[in-house]
Amino acid sequence: MTIVRLVVLWLIVALPLAWGVTKTLQNALKLFH
Amino acid sequence: MSVTYPESLGGNDAPAHDGTDSRSLGFFDRRRTIAPHDYNRFLVPPAALAVHLSIGQAYAFSTFNLPLSKLLGIDHAAPGDWSLVEIGWTFSIAIFVLGASAALFGRWVERAGPRKAMGIAALCFGGGFLVAALGVAWHQLALLYLGYGVLGGCGLGIGYIAPVSTLIKWFPDRPGMATGMAIMGFGGGAMIAAPLSLNLMAHFKGPASNGVAATFATMGCLYFLFMMFGAFVVRVPPKDWLPGGWTAPTLPQKLVTRAQVAVEKAWRTPQFWLLWGVLCMNVTAGIGVLGQASPMIQEMFAGRVSAAGAASFVGLLSLFNMGGRFFWASTSDYLGRRNTYFVFFLLGILLYAAVPSVGRAGSIPGFIAIFAVILSMYGGGFATMPAYLRDIFGTMHVGAIHGRVLTAWAAAGVLGPVLVNYIRQYQIDAGVPKAQAYSVTMYIMCGLLIVGLLCNLGIKAVHERHHHAGVEAA
Repeated sequence: MTIVRLVVLWLIVALPLAWGVTKTLQNALKLFH
Repeated sequence: MSVTYPESLGGNDAPAHDGTDSRSLGFFDRRRTIAPHDYNRFLVPPAALAVHLSIGQAYAFSTFNLPLSKLLGIDHAAPGDWSLVEIGWTFSIAIFVLGASAALFGRWVERAGPRKAMGIAALCFGGGFLVAALGVAWHQLALLYLGYGVLGGCGLGIGYIAPVSTLIKWFPDRPGMATGMAIMGFGGGAMIAAPLSLNLMAHFKGPASNGVAATFATMGCLYFLFMMFGAFVVRVPPKDWLPGGWTAPTLPQKLVTRAQVAVEKAWRTPQFWLLWGVLCMNVTAGIGVLGQASPMIQEMFAGRVSAAGAASFVGLLSLFNMGGRFFWASTSDYLGRRNTYFVFFLLGILLYAAVPSVGRAGSIPGFIAIFAVILSMYGGGFATMPAYLRDIFGTMHVGAIHGRVLTAWAAAGVLGPVLVNYIRQYQIDAGVPKAQAYSVTMYIMCGLLIVGLLCNLGIKAVHERHHHAGVEAA
């Protein structure tokens, strides 16, 4: 049960961060094109 | 290094699960947040990250600058629209209030506990957005300042310190990694907020509005909920709790105290002001560059880097700013806090001194690599500081002491951009080509870092007469 809770809590914060990092990386990569 | 705090110090010695009827305590009561001894401590960092990912939005406030300057004209600046200078004050006020509120309310945060503090931070930050939304809708600049700047700034200050001091207590074996995790969120918050703001403004934009007010209102609600999620899941460790299998080092370490220093005494010690100087110099050097990164790369490599390319460069710096927070703070657990700052200052001096040569050589990859490392150390300076404070003053009032040290950030927020902007302008007015106008600034940054290096060099263990007698370290 703790493992499930751990995964859910971390996903709640990791998903928005991953989205933001992906968007930033997509823009940053344009610098090298 | 577990610590027993007396009740008078807002202590942790009355867990709700040891006889106190938890139903009689309010949801925000500190005692309701005390975890059982077998609680998995890795359930706590998401709470800290939720708050820091939210308040990190402040770094992306500049995405609103242009839309806010066209509220009346919608797609152009009309007479009566706010100027960029007037709008720029919103961010400055927020950062100033961040430092002031962290210093003022740090002691209260320690006493009230992280859940109440995070709840208040959520109310202030979310509420600040709502008041700012009214300011935008009614075109009242004072309401924007009051909402985002003052109310939001209080949310920033309280929200910044509460999760950090909580994580330090959960990770006595890895305090650097713990604070790095939380403060990394502050760096990452801008990366979420920038695209989120742009998407929301595009969604709400209409013939009579550019969507800023509705975006502010939506973000206020979203951030309130996300921060309340943090307040809901946060826990503090029980009395005498230690990580399984870990014991506090028995051999005394020169700069890691086992004693506790109260905030009222800490800020009167030379160590406090030396640490203040360390943070101020490190941040001043980084923040000046961060604010001017886009024009700097365009002017130093004129004709070779477009505005879009420069924006990508800024995005890349944000990534290193965020990554450096976790990397350097975690590394400091092995290197030691003082050595980590020596790396920041010595490497920083070398890199800043190399910028003019790299500019003259026309090496864009070299320029990007240098600033990526510099910005990683800028973030690392923020993230390593709470663990440094914990090493020097103990965990008892680390949040409150951290709050007072953060006033260095407010000072650096003024000093850094002023140094970079004014010296650049002075150089250009004196006839120096724009591509070379940053050389003197870089050497001044080296000078600032030398001052920081000297401050770091002067840090010694706090004298025993400052130790708190009523608190025992296990």
